[in-house]
Amino acid sequence: MDNLGFLFAANAFVWGGIIYYVYTLRLRNRALEKDLDLLKKTLSKEG
Amino acid sequence: MMNPPALEENQAEGNILVWLTGFAFLAAMIGIFIYVPTERTEGVIQRIMYFHVPSAWLSFFAFFVVFICSILFLWKKDREWDIYAHASAGIGVVFCSLVLITGPIWARPIWGAWWVWDARLTSTLILWLIYVAYLMLRAQSSAGSMRARYAAVLGIVGFLNIPFIHFSVLWWRTFHPQPKVISNEGIGKGMDPSMLATLGVSLCAFTLLYFLLMGERVRQEKLKDEIDRLKREKLYSS
Repeated sequence: MDNLGFLFAANAFVWGGIIYYVYTLRLRNRALEKDLDLLKKTLSKEG
Repeated sequence: MMNPPALEENQAEGNILVWLTGFAFLAAMIGIFIYVPTERTEGVIQRIMYFHVPSAWLSFFAFFVVFICSILFLWKKDREWDIYAHASAGIGVVFCSLVLITGPIWARPIWGAWWVWDARLTSTLILWLIYVAYLMLRAQSSAGSMRARYAAVLGIVGFLNIPFIHFSVLWWRTFHPQPKVISNEGIGKGMDPSMLATLGVSLCAFTLLYFLLMGERVRQEKLKDEIDRLKREKLYSS
């Protein structure tokens, strides 16, 4: 069971990388959706 | 005239893809850590292959999509193709980064060094740098068709490095092992069937993940476009 630490590190990097990327994507999309809603509301108020 | 593929914002389809990807990754994890036997010479560290190779596959596939969409954008001048190319480049860079991280972690106990400047490793690093430059070009220059055109040319030129990466281990003597899945002996002949099956499941999981991420990235670019359009509308109306 030599090198288990290396295997764990590689596994952690892959999962960490994927989860962080998905999380930031979702976060950014949610922020953009909010911006879009706000902009639409502002535009409709201005007529 | 060919229309760009429409990525429907269908919640149900998205959920199916999420479940399929999750299930595929679960099956891959069972395969990697329970089913597949430990390799005789390298030991447990060889299991990194089931992340490393699919990450490389995903990045090459993503850059292939950039290549095709960039050609179609230059030909059709349709913004949709530019969106797909940009979205795919980002995903490709993320997974190419994972290749460049997991590779040295695998190499250290086997070769005794984190990094060697051999043809495969160096050409992969160059590929990563090209597409990082692609993303920087998109982020730095002002919006417009010129930016998209420059980026499309870089996206096409960058992809030409991929066949070089694949054949580098055959053309030169390198530390990196020769291809096992697609070799002179035939497809998958150089591997144990259980290893090949596990690698296949892992490749499927990463490919499904690509489509999931692509859906999110394309949605992001379309939201940005819509916000820009409304802002321009507001500017002109005031």
